Amino acid sequence: MIKKRLFSVIYMFLLTFFFTAIVSGIHEINKERIAINEEIKLQKIVLNVLGIQVGPGTLDVRIRQIFGERVKRETGEGRIIYRGFAEDGNTLIGYAIPLFGPGFWGPIYGVMAVDPKLEKVIGIAFYRHSETPGLGGRITEEWFEEQFKGRKLFTPGEDQRYFSFLPPGTAKADNEVDAITGATGTSKAVERLIDRNLKDYLPWIAEERAEGRI
Amino acid sequence: MAKLKSGKIFASGLWKENPIFRQILGICSALAVTNLLINTLIMGLSLIFVVTMSNVTVSALRNITPTRIRMMVQTLIIASYVIIVDVFLKAYLPDISEALGPYVGLIITNCIIMGRCEAFARNNTLWPSFVDGVASGCGYAFVLLTIAFFRELMGFGTLFGMDVMPGGWTNWIIMVMPPGAFFMLAAFIWVARSLPPREEEEAGVKR
Repeated sequence: MIKKRLFSVIYMFLLTFFFTAIVSGIHEINKERIAINEEIKLQKIVLNVLGIQVGPGTLDVRIRQIFGERVKRETGEGRIIYRGFAEDGNTLIGYAIPLFGPGFWGPIYGVMAVDPKLEKVIGIAFYRHSETPGLGGRITEEWFEEQFKGRKLFTPGEDQRYFSFLPPGTAKADNEVDAITGATGTSKAVERLIDRNLKDYLPWIAEERAEGRI
Repeated sequence: MAKLKSGKIFASGLWKENPIFRQILGICSALAVTNLLINTLIMGLSLIFVVTMSNVTVSALRNITPTRIRMMVQTLIIASYVIIVDVFLKAYLPDISEALGPYVGLIITNCIIMGRCEAFARNNTLWPSFVDGVASGCGYAFVLLTIAFFRELMGFGTLFGMDVMPGGWTNWIIMVMPPGAFFMLAAFIWVARSLPPREEEEAGVKR
């Protein structure tokens, strides 16, 4: 009896070890490629929110090229920011700020672009999340992201947030946007993370601008 | 176990015992990814790969795997192959990997695969298991592609991304949303079960 049980345990252990090794090996071999794909994806998103047009069929090499010409990545004090430039390569057209925070099910990653004077939103996009497909997952849909374009940024008062998510159809003010019906958890989470990231980045950008650093 | 002819095994998996419209398995992904033909094709190929490889592996290990832990072993094998497919898609087809999203990982939970491992592979030799895997996978892919054909055609007016509908066509958006998937699947099951040969067989069994 014990021999049987022992065999089961050893067998399972060896089998797990074997399969895990194979899967890990295949992952290792492809790691670089996957990392490059992730990088291109992020570059596409940053270009998109900054309003730099990239056609749908554009090749990856072209995207890297455009990104290299029109965007500059700056870091400081643990923050990363992307500066977008016009075609002449010199005129600043906007700052792309990374958005990150807990969603309803898992972390949500996005990017928001604001104009150089920090007065309005140029664009927003979410590129990684684990929200429910068809509900919270709709944060990546065009209508949700479009509604932020051109919105004025009002510095919120105490206990207020940059943007408030309200039931669709009831949003009136410039800082009120449509939540997703049936996805209250995700909507609230996105409201919080946009607010937190903006409160973290905007003052810092203003400071760096004042000192002529970015 | 009587030696089953490959042809019979294949025909069974593909039509007679089709996993989707006969056994009603694997419905989740059948509904979710079929709004675009290209996604469906990749999903189908991925599943054929996983079910075939899992069947072969389970069959190869069938004599040394202790019966008590066979399900753990099957799950381990299935999960490994699915992760391999996932890595492959992320590396070489990132846009499709993006579009399929969580449904690639969900192949692990697809009842068809574990169903075949349990019902067939653990009691049969390598070659029949291989054929059975390919057959079930093809049965699944064939149903999905048919559903996707109609959903993409009527919902987007395209096939594999190419415009095929005449200019005046208005897209039936419902076809690319969940309700459309349910309707198409139901229609498929209805048509498939109404076909004459099957009815005769059932009549024969009843007697």
